[in-house]
Amino acid sequence: MAEETLLTDDFLRQLINVGEVDILVGLPTHNNAKTIEPVIRTIQAGILKCFPRERVVIINADGGSVDGTPERVTSASIDDVWNASKVYALRTLHSVSTQYAPSPEPGAALRTILAAADLLRAKACVVVSPDSTTIEPDWLQRLVRPVYNDNFDMVSPIYRRQKFDGALMRNLLYPMTRAIYGRRILEPYASEFAISGRLATDFLANEIWNNDWSRTGAEICLTITAMAGKYRGCQAFLGTKAQPNRGARDLLAAMRQTVGVLFSSLDNNFPIWSAIAGSEPVPTIGAQSEVVLEPARVDRKRLKEMFATGVAELEPIFRSILSPSTLSELQRIASLDVNDFNYPADVWAKTVFEFAASHHKSVISRDHIVQALVPLFRGRALTFLLENRERSGEDIEKSVESLCGEFERLKPYLLEVWADRK
Amino acid sequence: MPLERQSGWYKDAIIYQIHVRTFNDSNGDGIGDFQGLAQRLDYVQELGVSAIWLMPFFPSPLRDDGYDISDYRSIHPNYGTLEDFKIFLESAHDRGIRVIVELVANHTSDQHPWFLESRSSQDNPKRGWYVWADTDTKYRGTRIIFIDTEMSNWAWDPISKSYYWHRFFSHQPDLNYDNPAVREEMWNVMKFWLELGVDGFRLDAVPYLIERDGTSCENLPETHEVIRELRKKVDEQFPGAMLLAEANQWPADLRPYFGNGDEFHMAFHFPLMPRMFMGLRLEDRKPITEIMQQTPEIPASCQWCLFLRNHDELTLEMVTDIERDYMYDIYARDKTMRLNLGIRRRLAPLLDNDRRRIELMNGMLMSLPGTPIIYYGDEIGMGDNIYLGDRNGVRTPMQWSGGWNGGFSIADPERLYSPPILNPVYGYQAVNVLSQKRTEHSLLSWMKHLIQIRRSSAVFGSGSIEFLHPANHRILVYVRQLGKETFLIVNNLSSAAQAVELDLRRYKGNILIEMFGKNVFPRVGDLPYLLTMGPYQFYWFRLRRI
Repeated sequence: MAEETLLTDDFLRQLINVGEVDILVGLPTHNNAKTIEPVIRTIQAGILKCFPRERVVIINADGGSVDGTPERVTSASIDDVWNASKVYALRTLHSVSTQYAPSPEPGAALRTILAAADLLRAKACVVVSPDSTTIEPDWLQRLVRPVYNDNFDMVSPIYRRQKFDGALMRNLLYPMTRAIYGRRILEPYASEFAISGRLATDFLANEIWNNDWSRTGAEICLTITAMAGKYRGCQAFLGTKAQPNRGARDLLAAMRQTVGVLFSSLDNNFPIWSAIAGSEPVPTIGAQSEVVLEPARVDRKRLKEMFATGVAELEPIFRSILSPSTLSELQRIASLDVNDFNYPADVWAKTVFEFAASHHKSVISRDHIVQALVPLFRGRALTFLLENRERSGEDIEKSVESLCGEFERLKPYLLEVWADRK
Repeated sequence: MPLERQSGWYKDAIIYQIHVRTFNDSNGDGIGDFQGLAQRLDYVQELGVSAIWLMPFFPSPLRDDGYDISDYRSIHPNYGTLEDFKIFLESAHDRGIRVIVELVANHTSDQHPWFLESRSSQDNPKRGWYVWADTDTKYRGTRIIFIDTEMSNWAWDPISKSYYWHRFFSHQPDLNYDNPAVREEMWNVMKFWLELGVDGFRLDAVPYLIERDGTSCENLPETHEVIRELRKKVDEQFPGAMLLAEANQWPADLRPYFGNGDEFHMAFHFPLMPRMFMGLRLEDRKPITEIMQQTPEIPASCQWCLFLRNHDELTLEMVTDIERDYMYDIYARDKTMRLNLGIRRRLAPLLDNDRRRIELMNGMLMSLPGTPIIYYGDEIGMGDNIYLGDRNGVRTPMQWSGGWNGGFSIADPERLYSPPILNPVYGYQAVNVLSQKRTEHSLLSWMKHLIQIRRSSAVFGSGSIEFLHPANHRILVYVRQLGKETFLIVNNLSSAAQAVELDLRRYKGNILIEMFGKNVFPRVGDLPYLLTMGPYQFYWFRLRRI
């Protein structure tokens, strides 16, 4: 069994003391001392408020923090929460911390949490981001209830986002996963989600842990597993999602963690996704709140330059990835002035599909393929900004819906290039 | 011969709660009586208990199962005569069994001559023996206890055309303890029984003796004055006699009933009981350790009285709303099982007749600090009948054998005061004393063994307690200590096997001797002491340095 060597003796001893649980709250951390305490308190408040009867444990999988994060997790006293919220827990609430590795590795953190969920026979396992400073006690309920009470296997969040936030999600991950796997899960790569014990156990036994990309992309792989398998999924409206500032390196890392994994998943799942046409909505729970947040400022010129430079500099690579017509179209787009810039939805969908097919064929190093997609994504993100600059949140959603329609419409093209590309 | 009333006898006692009506019928009228009870004293002695608590046996209209007394100095004719009582008392004492009688001091029946006189006219000398008013507006801050039946604590008396105060049923008017004559008369009642030789009283509903406007009319300082006055007289004239308080209150509110050792000798620990059931189903020691942490120290001469079940509903007054909801959902999903703020069920059905859970709960009852009370029939795992009204479902005939009426009575079954339990699981043909006496591994035999071990040491009754806090919250661990004797008690509240590591370094060098099998466990060293425990298993260890 994978968990036999995964868990330290000390962690195992702590798990023995915890015993069987109903709900496991997983907190993957690395140097989150600044934000972890309010997150923990909110989780505790959520437990007291919504799950006073259930057996709950908080498992902190830490990637070698040097700022005292694990100590803050284990020392957060629930007594303060009782006093503040005037609610009372019937049960003991354990907070357990373990260092899974000396350096952070999201996949290993998730694996540790899932192994704990498996050993403790948790009925529901919810993962919460340690930097979710906007978390509210009700998040826990919204994520866990569908699993715990309604037999769903996976609950993905729907956040209230800034106007142009989540460009990668809206322009690539969501449309692609939706077109491929036929399920309309808005956040296939989320930092908060809940899964059933069944899915946790099945995913833990998955062979993905032998792959390199599992170290970083396990979360989206989990979503894909749920979408591709016979698991019941739903979505839950949460609230505002605080977005940490991201640099250019973060985008590349995010692409590797998500797009790379998504492309890789296509290999083994071909019999499944190739038979799927169109998409179906998944049940969505809770009330959607109005998007009222102000958009972040974006340097459009710089985005355009990064796109154009990428198209020019990576042309030799693109020749082995893209069809001549697509490459030619990209070069035309790259020559446009920023104010006239437009990377149309159909061209973008074709681009992504051709990249996916090339990834499958490994025409060049798979990692280089993912890296090469980064400047093109910037171009698409710029179009997204320009198209939606004056639009309302609702109109933006319509625009995303339209893009998804293009991905679904062009799915036969993916099958075509998947089979044909040499 | 009355037993010598040694001071503090109650601290090491094990009490067996009996209702005369339910125990044994000697004359075939379908109702238990004192002669019948006397005939069964050998059984009580064999069980190993050291005291009997008798529920009210006084003349009464029996509208509240005898808690509505109409004569404090006599025996209800259903149960025999005063002479029968004396014979029973002597027989019990001959066997070393003490007898505690119930004193329902807060109120009488509305058929008591005192009340009949009191209501007869506003000028009657007994008028001031009860609490009368022209309106029903006084003492508005007072809660209603029997919320299922009573709308107010005041009842209109059409005879004297005024309202009288009652904390329980409206046919149970409260006595007025502001009246010295009432206090004097109640002392005379106590003296009457103490002179006959009884060893103590269980005083019913003591928090409610005195009323004051603007208060909850519970636990008032004046009530404590009344108690201190009675206690002083008991100590002076009948040293060694014991007073036990029935005060369903939070631990902090219970503490004053011990005073400085000059009020009650004992008081029921009401909040602990539901939390034992809660801890068991939650598989978490938290409810138990928390309430024990809230339990104040009491004077050395005083003692808590612990119980799992009794003649009343499993009261949920001393729990939070969330705890009450949990208890209802877990233990009384069928609303027929609920009564007032409680659950009217016996021990075995509450625990799904799970022998392991019954043993664990009894093990905790006998090892937590206090004097344990066993409700009649629970030692054989008797069931209940939730379809009988009020609390009668837990007051069905004692099941002595698989024969006619379960050996309780030779009367026609239709004549019994209550139908016996007949169902295939708990009925007298399946659950009875005779068959269990013949089986070494029956619940009855096990209970005898448990009681025997409990009585083998004064640690359980008088020792200190210290809780250990192993990381495994399903394990409830405490150390009982008295003088040089130290016992380690480890309870697995879980339905699954558990491993637990105990920090016993302070007992380094001791070996553990398991008290039921007398087996030796490894010596305590510096490392955590690892125990593995089966589902609902518990250990009592005696620590020995050898």
